[in-house]
Amino acid sequence: MEKVNFRTQILSGHLQNHRHSTAADIISASPCVSYVPPEVSEQPFSFDVSSMRKLMDGHNLGDRDWLFNLMVQSKLFNPRLRGGKVFVVPDYNHSMEQQREITMKRIEYLLDHGVFKGWLTGKGPEAEMKKFALLEVIEIFDHSLAIKIGVHFFLWGGAIQFFGTKRHHDRWLSATENYLIKGCFSMTELGHGSNVRGIETTATYEANTGEFVINTPCETAQKYWIGGAANHATHTVVFSQLNIDGNNQGVHAFITQIRDENGNVCPNIRIADCGHKIGLNGVDNGRIWFDNVRIPRENLLNSVADVSPDGKYLSAIKDPDQRFAAFLAPLTSGRVTIAASAVYSAKISLAIAIRYALTRRAFSITTNGPELLLLDYPSHQRRLLPLLAKTYAMSFASNYLKLLYIKRSPQLIKTIHVVSSAFKATLTWHNMRTLQECREACGGQGLKTENRIGQLKGEYDVQSTFEGDNNVLMQQVSKALLAEYVAAKKRNKPFKELGLEHMNNSCPVIPSQLTSSNLRSTQFQNDIFCLRERDLLNCFAAEVSKYQAQGESKESAFVVSYQVAEDLGKAFSDRAILQIAVEAENNVTDASLKNILGLLRSMYVLVTLEEDAAFLRYGYLSTDNAAAVRKELAKLCSEIRPQALALVSSFGIPDAFLSPIAFDWVAANSWSTIEN
Amino acid sequence: MASISSSFGETDQVLVEEKSSAKIFTLNRPKQLNAASFQMVSRLLDLFLACEDDPSVKLIILKGKGRAFCAGGDVTAVVRDITQGNWRLGANFFGREFILNYVMATYSKPQVSILNGIVMGGGAGVSIHGRFRVATENSLFAMPETALGLFPDVGASYFLSRLPGFFGEYVGLIGAKLDGAEMLACGLATHFVPSEKLSLLEDALCKADSNDPAIISATISEFSLVPNLKERSHCHRLNVINKCFCRRTVEEIILALEREAADKEDEWISSTLQSLKKASPTSLKISLRLIREGRLQGIVKCLVREYGLVWTVMRGEINKDFFEGCRAILLDKDKNPKWEPSKLEQVTEDMVDRYFSKINDEDWEDLDLPRRSNIPPHAIAKL
Repeated sequence: MEKVNFRTQILSGHLQNHRHSTAADIISASPCVSYVPPEVSEQPFSFDVSSMRKLMDGHNLGDRDWLFNLMVQSKLFNPRLRGGKVFVVPDYNHSMEQQREITMKRIEYLLDHGVFKGWLTGKGPEAEMKKFALLEVIEIFDHSLAIKIGVHFFLWGGAIQFFGTKRHHDRWLSATENYLIKGCFSMTELGHGSNVRGIETTATYEANTGEFVINTPCETAQKYWIGGAANHATHTVVFSQLNIDGNNQGVHAFITQIRDENGNVCPNIRIADCGHKIGLNGVDNGRIWFDNVRIPRENLLNSVADVSPDGKYLSAIKDPDQRFAAFLAPLTSGRVTIAASAVYSAKISLAIAIRYALTRRAFSITTNGPELLLLDYPSHQRRLLPLLAKTYAMSFASNYLKLLYIKRSPQLIKTIHVVSSAFKATLTWHNMRTLQECREACGGQGLKTENRIGQLKGEYDVQSTFEGDNNVLMQQVSKALLAEYVAAKKRNKPFKELGLEHMNNSCPVIPSQLTSSNLRSTQFQNDIFCLRERDLLNCFAAEVSKYQAQGESKESAFVVSYQVAEDLGKAFSDRAILQIAVEAENNVTDASLKNILGLLRSMYVLVTLEEDAAFLRYGYLSTDNAAAVRKELAKLCSEIRPQALALVSSFGIPDAFLSPIAFDWVAANSWSTIEN
Repeated sequence: MASISSSFGETDQVLVEEKSSAKIFTLNRPKQLNAASFQMVSRLLDLFLACEDDPSVKLIILKGKGRAFCAGGDVTAVVRDITQGNWRLGANFFGREFILNYVMATYSKPQVSILNGIVMGGGAGVSIHGRFRVATENSLFAMPETALGLFPDVGASYFLSRLPGFFGEYVGLIGAKLDGAEMLACGLATHFVPSEKLSLLEDALCKADSNDPAIISATISEFSLVPNLKERSHCHRLNVINKCFCRRTVEEIILALEREAADKEDEWISSTLQSLKKASPTSLKISLRLIREGRLQGIVKCLVREYGLVWTVMRGEINKDFFEGCRAILLDKDKNPKWEPSKLEQVTEDMVDRYFSKINDEDWEDLDLPRRSNIPPHAIAKL
């Protein structure tokens, strides 16, 4: 009955208002659900958002804003007016062919405006950081656009840069930077993905002609998923087993032209399309078969190994394992950019879902009272805010990873490999989880592609498996940790790499009754993450050596110890991220920033403690302590709730790159916006 | 049936008429080209706020007396205050002006500004944010602040950045003077009406007795036409403007222009370069960054940021170009300001950063914009 009265009130309100009011007045005067911008309804920010944005983006803010400007001002980026604001989002209702065509046009526009200047010819850390920043901005607009550019510059261009020598640099780098040629990267085959050493394509040297003959011997050797190959690429670097006089020298990379300047496929090359995908349809993934294609000897990318004209194999690195590792090391840049872009995708979805949750109401909990804002439900806070806290921590982690990568040196190869593997897997998994949660948090609105989040799931899913399958990468992390462990124990020397120094200290002790101040202290947080890593590394080492003692090979011992290996990989990654976040927090002097970063860091740790079953499984947390963690997490949610808007505003993603539901979704959906 | 209700004293800087459901405000300092004083701005703000709550008012018409609509903020008064040690008065002036700009930008009733004359700086601020801007053959628009050691303020980082392509950078950095036809072509004006028809237009608007933007727009359209752009219009140069003014930095913009000039002798390019070289190097860098950040944000953030910059400029701790510019252009009129730093390359990224950083000053208060909860969507998408 009360409901009926309430409804009557609303209806009579409508009718009365209609007599002498305008449409705009009705929205304000009636008890109808109306849109109030969160900037108006929320408390003033407790910290300076632009200072926080500096911490989040970390570098090249002016360059980022410049590129956002270039995109916003061009019709090519599909600007659409919705609810009084312009949004730039690709039209995902376009066909695959249309998406590919517009993606290429966007690349030409960016090229014409000097965005890629110095991407391959520039030198030094500044040029590299700028390139990373610009690629991140491109990713914020569209993953296809970023991947298509990434393949050309980071994979093809990177292969020339790192695997090639001067003759290749002179010939290809500037031509690539200016898109005089379009490159692609033929590594993966139908039959072999993560296991690059197993690929079946062959390159046979013929001393009498001074040529390599590239061949696809069987169907499983067809190159697969080659981005750019289906429509646009003119050249590729093709990975093949090098054969000299019947001896296999392992995987090497060769430059091969696949299309002429008019875009016609070259003789003895066959190309087919990979077809429609669940996302990334702006990228023309293709398949390539090589039918004894002849290329000059100089096309071998010879930084690690070379073949002399008379057919002698020359390499400074004798051990084929090491040769292969040295060869692939530069490809780390792919994992670095993937990790960074995963964080930006999570930021987009959280900014949208949290802004929506600050303006959308559902259900009233008092009679005749107003309906509650979604984000005022503790359950909704619990769904979104811990993901926000993780995104903050991982944002610091991805900035750290970029800096680590540009400092690369032979001494750092191992660290970079392990950290980039762990972070690529962790950050991309985090993104997919965040996207799903944010999609659900927006209800039906999350399904509309103009609102981005749902579509991003399809666009970003690929990140979990390309440039190294996440599960395989995490196993490599655990293996590397074990190798470190074995080496330290064998030589009886302290740990000094991969952040394992804490293993040299005595085992941390966790208080039996965790208090709120324990739970929020960096000391405890660090202790419990180190305890988990330390114990799991010991377990893993014990389990592998137990199997080896039973006569299993090292490899098969790894394979059967997968459970501990998985837990250990996570433990390493979480601990590394925490330490980076703590350091970032320590470097901040402003008290208001420090305060909120402290809350976020605690939330990051506590949600990890709550979600990862390992803490209870191995007894690092008692059930009592687990209950204390859960209670504290709920408290943190309510403390961070008033800062939610400021926190997503600090992501520095311009309004135009979010979506209509992040702003006035009533106006965006009103009848008056429908054109007849 | 006009009733003029102007009183003596301070309030007559704005004349108020009421014709049916329309209010007509006339800026009334013709000798000072209707320069916006603190009193004028305060009076306008009171009037706008009062009319918003008054259901009998459906439409506001804003115009200027004499040959100017409004030649800008009364900068001479501000500089006088500051040099006499009352820099807070100066900051107050800007604060009040920006609040007025914000109220106009988010106003729920249509505002028609008749731009029959000079529209500069603060004059743009009280018109461009409104719903309808009527240009005439007498219109003369410019944001000349970079020549004065200041930057385009009054929400210009919002409205200039929303002009097509990179025309906003061009207009804001070089202080380009636009006529009515150009204002219409780039979107600063919504209509062009020959000045001889203005009184008919005013009558028609009052008779329309409506607050429906579609009806108001149609009413103005009855008198409006699309004039031809003059032969040497800036708008014919859009391609070169976009090509050069899209660049990342002021230095790169100049380089791009010089490259264009190298291809062929061109008076327009040399005068553009001339303007850039005469302007305050610090102002140019600040202005470019303001427009670039403003393009990505809403009106609130634009005004708040500009207000912080105004404060920093008034304090004169980073440099004193604004005072030097006012001296050279407005007071001594020697037109030969000595900028410090004098060269673009001497203005480092760090120096520019300081203008945009959080202000650590115990007197500092953020611009306190009124909380307006039901901003109609059209209010934020006028350009």
